[in-house]
Order: sequence, then C-alpha cells, then structure tokens
Amino acid sequence: MPQDLRFSRRLLMTLALTMPWSISRPAQADEGGIVSLDYGLASTMLMLGVTPAAVVARADWQQWVVDPPMPESVADLGTATEINLEVLARLKPSLILSTPFLAASRSQLETIAPVREVDIYGGGREALPASIVATRDLGKLLRRESQATAFLAHAEANFADCNRRIAELSAPPVALVTLMDERHVRIYGGSGLYQGTLDRLGVKNAWQAETNFWGFQTITIEQLISLPENTHLMIFEPLTPPDILQRLDDSPLWHELPFARAGRVSVLPGVLMFGMVREAIRFAELLTDRLEQLA
Amino acid sequence: MSVRLFRSPATVVFILFLLGLSLSAWNIGRDAWLLFEPAGHYDPKRVLLVYSTFPRFMTALLVGAALALSGVMLQQSLRNPLASPTTLGTSAGANLSLVLSLLFFPSSQGFGRDTIAIAGAAVSACLVFAIGSRKGASPLSFILSGLMIGLWCSALSAVFVLMNDRYLSGLFIWGAGSLALQGWTVPFSLLPKIIACVVVAGLMVRPMSLMELGDAGALSVGLSVRKVRVLAIAVAVILSAFVTSAVGIIGFVGLVAPAIARLAGARRFAQQLVWSPLIGAGLLLVTDETVKLLSAAFGAFLPTGSMTALFGAPVVLMLLARLRTESRRPPNLGQGATRSWHVPRFMPALFLLTLAIGVVAAILIGRAPTGQWEILPFAEWQSILPYRWPRVVAALSAAMMLGASGVILQRLTGNEMASPELLGISAGATAGVALALFTVASAGFAVQLVFAAFGALAVLVMVLLLGLRSGFSPERVLLAGVVLTALLDALIGFLAAGGDPRAMMLIGWMSGSTSRVDQASALFALACAIVFAALVYPAGRWLTLLPLGREVSHAVGIKVPVARASLLVLSALMTAAATLIVGPLSFVGLVGPHIARELGLRGALSQMIGGAMAAGLLMLIADWLGRMIAFPYQMPAGLMAVLLGAPVLVSILMKNAENGQRRWLR
Repeated sequence: MPQDLRFSRRLLMTLALTMPWSISRPAQADEGGIVSLDYGLASTMLMLGVTPAAVVARADWQQWVVDPPMPESVADLGTATEINLEVLARLKPSLILSTPFLAASRSQLETIAPVREVDIYGGGREALPASIVATRDLGKLLRRESQATAFLAHAEANFADCNRRIAELSAPPVALVTLMDERHVRIYGGSGLYQGTLDRLGVKNAWQAETNFWGFQTITIEQLISLPENTHLMIFEPLTPPDILQRLDDSPLWHELPFARAGRVSVLPGVLMFGMVREAIRFAELLTDRLEQLA
Repeated sequence: MSVRLFRSPATVVFILFLLGLSLSAWNIGRDAWLLFEPAGHYDPKRVLLVYSTFPRFMTALLVGAALALSGVMLQQSLRNPLASPTTLGTSAGANLSLVLSLLFFPSSQGFGRDTIAIAGAAVSACLVFAIGSRKGASPLSFILSGLMIGLWCSALSAVFVLMNDRYLSGLFIWGAGSLALQGWTVPFSLLPKIIACVVVAGLMVRPMSLMELGDAGALSVGLSVRKVRVLAIAVAVILSAFVTSAVGIIGFVGLVAPAIARLAGARRFAQQLVWSPLIGAGLLLVTDETVKLLSAAFGAFLPTGSMTALFGAPVVLMLLARLRTESRRPPNLGQGATRSWHVPRFMPALFLLTLAIGVVAAILIGRAPTGQWEILPFAEWQSILPYRWPRVVAALSAAMMLGASGVILQRLTGNEMASPELLGISAGATAGVALALFTVASAGFAVQLVFAAFGALAVLVMVLLLGLRSGFSPERVLLAGVVLTALLDALIGFLAAGGDPRAMMLIGWMSGSTSRVDQASALFALACAIVFAALVYPAGRWLTLLPLGREVSHAVGIKVPVARASLLVLSALMTAAATLIVGPLSFVGLVGPHIARELGLRGALSQMIGGAMAAGLLMLIADWLGRMIAFPYQMPAGLMAVLLGAPVLVSILMKNAENGQRRWLR
C-alpha cells in the first residue's frame, strides 16, 4: 500500500510538472474555450464579457475591427478559407461559432466541437435587426443573458443619443463609400449594417439604388453624379493606395460631382462591414461626431 | 455559316461600326442635345457626356485597335494563329507586379503604375520567350509556355491576394478590365503611345510579310528573322502593356480580331495589319456599349474585360475546328535528358523509400500552436492525426495520379508542355463548385464535391465529343481546355470585381487546398490512385508505340483512335479524381514527367512510375510547406506546388534548351 501510494504520488507530481495547465486552470481544461470563426461574432463575445479562445485572422483584427481590442492571449486560426484545424483541435474548444459562409468546413469542425452557425449576412436579411436577435441568442447560449440585455440596452441608448444629436443638426443625406481604385467605389446601403444604423440615426442614405445580397454595390465614380445635390460623401479608410485622394484630384469629372464642388467630402475611419451590434455603435459614434464637426 | 456573309473585311468593319454607333446613340439618347446648349449652367448629364461617355467611347476604340494590332503582330511573328497578349502570360505578369508593388511599395503606385505594369509584362514576356522558343518555336509550345508563366504569376498573385483579400480587392476590378473613365487623361495619353507603335509596325510590314516564307525561306532572302521577330514581339508586348496599365486586362480582342480579319479574307499580312485594328476597335466598341446597356438594365457592375472573354471564347472554339493539325515527329525519346546512364535497378526502391520517409516526416514533423517546431507528441496523436494524415495521403495520391496523367498527355501529344490542368477538366470542376455556391444555400463540402464531379464529367464528355470529330487529336483537346480555363477565369474575375465574398471561396478552391480533405476522402483518393495504377500498367505498351506513328502502330495491331481515346479517358479520369480531392491548380502533372526523364527514366512505363512518384514527392513537400511556412496561416498546397515546381521545370527546360535555342536564334 505505501509503495502504491508513493508511486501514485510520484506519478501525480510528474503529471503536474509535464502538464502545468492541468493545475493552473483545472476548470477550463475540461470545459474548453469558445472559438469564433467570424469577426462580428468575436466582437459580440467580447461585449458579453467572454474572451474567445481563438479567432480567425487574429493578426488582422487591429487593422479591420480596431475596437474592441482583442486580448493578446487569443489564438490565431489562420484565414477563414483555410482554418488551421490542428490548432483548433489542440485548443479542445467546447463550442465553435461559425457562419453559413463557412458551411463547407462544417463537417470537419463538428468532429472537434459542436458548431453553432449564426446567420446574419446569409439570407439577405437586414443586418442590424438580425445582429440584435443574434446577440440575444448568443447571450442565452453563453449564459450571459444579463450582459446581453445590458449591452443591447447600451446600444439602444447610444443610437437614441446619436439620433437626438443629429436631429439638432438637420444633417444632409450621406453616401458611404470605399474607394476601390481611382475609377470605382463600393457604395453601401440595402440590407447592410450601415444602412440599418443610418435608419436608427435618422440619417438619409443618398444611395437608394440597388445593392447586392450583402448590402453594397460596386459602381463607377461617375454614377455618383446621380446622388442628390446636398449629399455629403463619406469615404471609409483604409485608402488604397495611400495617395488615391490626390489622384482623384486630377480627375476632371470628380471636380464636377456636386459634393466635390461644394467640398462635402470626408474621410471616416474604417468600420468592419460584416460586423454586428458593436460595429454599428462604432459607426454611429464616428458618423455623429463627424456630422457635428461639419455642422 | 455566317462567315460567308462577311465577304470582305471592309464589310465586317462597316457592320461592327454601324452596330457600335447605333448602340452608343441608343445609350446616349436625347442627352446628345445637351452639347449644344450654352455652357453656362451646371448640368450633370452634360458633365457625364463630356467626361465619361465620350472618353470611354474613344478609349474603347483605341484599346480595341491597340490590342488587335498587338495580336496580329504576335500571331504573324510567332506564325501562330492563337497567340495573343493574354495567352502569352504578359497580363498575368503585369498583374503580379502590381500586386507586389501595392503590398510592398504602396506609395510608388502613384507615379509609376504604367511603369510597374510594363516592367512586369516585360519580365514575363522574356521568360515566355526564353522557354517557348526552343525547338523551332512551334505554336503550341509558345502558347503552353505562355500559359505556364501566366499560371505561375497568377499563383503568386493569388497567394498574396488570399492573405490580403480585403486590402487588394481593388485589383480584382483591374483584373477584370473596366473601361469606366472620368476624364480625357487615359485616351489622350494612350493616343501618342499607340500611334508610335503603329508607325513602328508600319515600317515592319515588309520584313514581317517575308516571315510567311518560313524561317529558312526568310533567311534565304537575307532577312534577319531573329531581329524582326524580337522587335515585333517587343512592339506587341509594349502595346498590350500600355493598354493593360491604363484600363486593366481585356482579353480575347487581340486574339479574335485578327482571326476575324483572316476569316473575312485578309490573306496578306499588310491587309491584316490594316483591318485587324479596325475590327478590334469595332468589336470592343460593340462589347462596351452592350456592357453599358446591360449594367443600366440590371444595375450590376459588369467589367468589360470579363465580357470580351464571354464573347470571344466561342469564336476561339470555332477557330479550333479550322486549325490545321500539324504532323508531329516522334517525341524526343533520345533527346532531352542530359544524362544517359543506365537506370539502376534499385531506383524504384529508392523512390519508394524516399516517399515513405517523406510521408512519415510530413505527418510527424510540424508546429505546436505556439509556433514552435516539434515532433508530434504521442499524447496528441489521437486528437491531431485525424486532421493531418488525410491531407498528406490525399496530396500524395492526387499528385501521383496527376503525374501519371501528365506522362500520358506529354507522350501522346509529343509536347513536353502538355499537362493535365489544360484538359479543361479542372475548369469544369471549378465551374461545378461555382454553381453549387450560387444555387445551394450554404453548400457543404459533400454538395460541392458532387457538383464538382458533374462539372468534371460534363467537360470530359465535351472533350470526348470534340475528340471524336478530330480523331482524338491531342492538340485540339488541350487548346479547348485552354479556352475553357480562360472563360472560367473571366467568370471568377467578374464575381471578384463585384466584391462577392463567394469569389474568395472559389479562388480558395482553385488554389488547390487540401484543408477540406477528411479521412473518407483521403481513403477515396488512395483507392483511386491504386485502381488507376493497375489500369495504367497495360497502357504502357500503347504509349511506347503510338508516338512512333500511325503506320507502326497499325502494323503491330493497335487501333489508333481506340488507343488514343482510351489513353485520353484514362488521363482525364485521373485528373478528375485528383481535382475533386485537392482542387485544380498544380504544376505537378507537368513537372513530374520532366523530373522522371531528367533522372533517365525514358521508357513509357518507367517514366510513368517515376513521374507519378516525383509528382507525389513534390506535392508532399508543397503541402507540408504550405502548412508550415506562415503558421498558423496555411498556404494552399496547389499554389505552393506551382511556386516550387515552376523553377524546377524552367531550369530543366532551359538546360535542355541550349542547343535548340541556338539553332532557333541563328
């Protein structure tokens, strides 16, 4: 008996030394973290007070999402088109949050952990209302219902506050674009997240024409001439290449566009296009601040 | 049928311009009167007319003419009716140089986009020239080497695009060729450049006409074939680079316009030189006005370059039917490899041993989540191996099938640049996946696989039908594949230019990824490889005898069409199986056979075994590197195989080319 006891104690010591995680984080070793394969879902998790165990394209987070910051400890799963399954498997997650966009990987993901697909940009539905519903569902799923309620209340209060501030300004209609090159832009509207936010703020989108499934349209710059006279053009960062504004300046037609003639052009910091409620808040604040500055 | 209507090139030009002008009149409509109004007040419609509609009209004409001129110069100097700026890979080279400069020197874009694109085009043109010009510069070898350089440049661009898709999305529009303009800068800067090239081309009419006599004939009348050819190609490449750097890649005009000129009766080179640019200008005008009409009707973004491919591809397929099949000498059985030592007995065993070690190493050596190198600890085997071994096994099996398929195609065509990717089967499979992504909501891997299989099968049937008509002439089958691939590229370019996220999934699929391979599909791949290995074995005899010519084959009792058809089907099936598992793009089917021959394996069967194993080994390394190099980010194995395989291939070809090239460059 004593011998056995000694043996097992040594074994325990060895185990403890070789696998430090089993001592320092006993609970989480069994439970496993939650992994997000989508930026929007990951930022929502952060807002509910849950740090993801890993996200895809962790390295680019700072460039495309900016806020909320992603903690350093979060693992990187590589690109969404080639998710690193080995890293994922070793994390032994308890849940994988995914989107229908990644359906092709689903059967593989399911061998690692249960997969929960959250559909926001799949069915051509309105992105902001869908995000709010998804946030509430996520709150239930992660047992953070009170945090979800508080976060959504914070969002509503934020939208209401921005709406009130904008109402005082009699803001012009805005056109939201990303410059693709000096001849083409992507313009946002339709069912997208930006349109939903504009609706909440009571700002009119100058672009009322058709958009694709995801709420944007690629158009040529001369098509912007059809926008209403008093439109204010908002250009999202990043500007690629960096000198593109100077090059637009060389284009005679650009100077003939109504907003360019009147100098109603601003550059806004980038906001994740395929985001959720947190990104909508960020966009609402950026836009409201800018409109106040302009007024 | 309609060809007879166009009795003379002038009629064709007249019809094209009539159509183009009426379309633009329709598009402009009543706005034209605005030009005659007093200029005092601001009218947006008038602004559009002056700064967008008219410059775009002019640019369409200029670009169409320039590309057609470039095409006619290339086709004449290479004596190849299928040469064009896009088929020679120069556009892909320009694209790659733009990608690199955008990523690494973003600010240099401002002052030197033209220069950057032209430099890229020039470098790739030189490479194509160097590789394609061996052995009398046969039309097919030029086309295929252009295609290979194009593939390589596209692969490298794709690696960067996949890693930076958000940042580089503007390049997709450039790649799809848009003629949208907001001022007169583009047409005014193109005009003098094009005029200069036209003048040089005009001065070259006589010497270039003499090239119709053939290299020997031209030489006998005192022409320096080499100088004329180099100059002509330089003019052509510069022309297309000017256009490409200004408006992006616009394919097929340079290929189709000279062909139409010839069909309409422009026999002499001087006639073609005059009529092709006019036809090209008319063609692009009609296309662009149609694009405007369609995008106004559907509210969607349609890049002109994608549309020219859509219109042009059928014309090229039609041309294929008229292309003369050249009689080929037997492939260089004794030539090529520099070594001639006897293949040692232990060679196959050595190969097998290397492969076995490679498989074990690829499975066990890897990186921990922290990024540290490690030999996979036993404790993790159960959790990690199910995601690792299927990739290794699938990569190996698929590559071996591609390697064997490559040997069959190369020996059958007698062309060492033939490769399984060119059969068009890969394009068919990719089109199938595209269809799945667009028709089935959230298509899973199994659904994609079924669609891909149908796509591959559809192309296989088409290839066979085409083969029946041409007596299974391998050249024609391959060229049809080239056209299908170009058509598919145009489709994906169109999707990507519009910003559709599904385009990234397609690009991912086309890059040849093993990341979606699970245990079942890996076992399927292995089973396919074993079954086909058994089937390939008896085909060895045919492959030895067929290249010796119809008479020899007949004398020993081989029915040539049956043998050819069986070999084509076998090679197509192997390609299809491999494509389904690891995607379409890889160099291994092309490189494997060359490595085998370089090692001295020259018998049909031994080259096939060696080629399969070399291809397998290359893919094994590519897949492993792809998983390791940017860990935890993964590079598609197919792209890595292209990047690894192309330099190997080029070095083998260049080494063997020295004699041939000297002969050609006399």
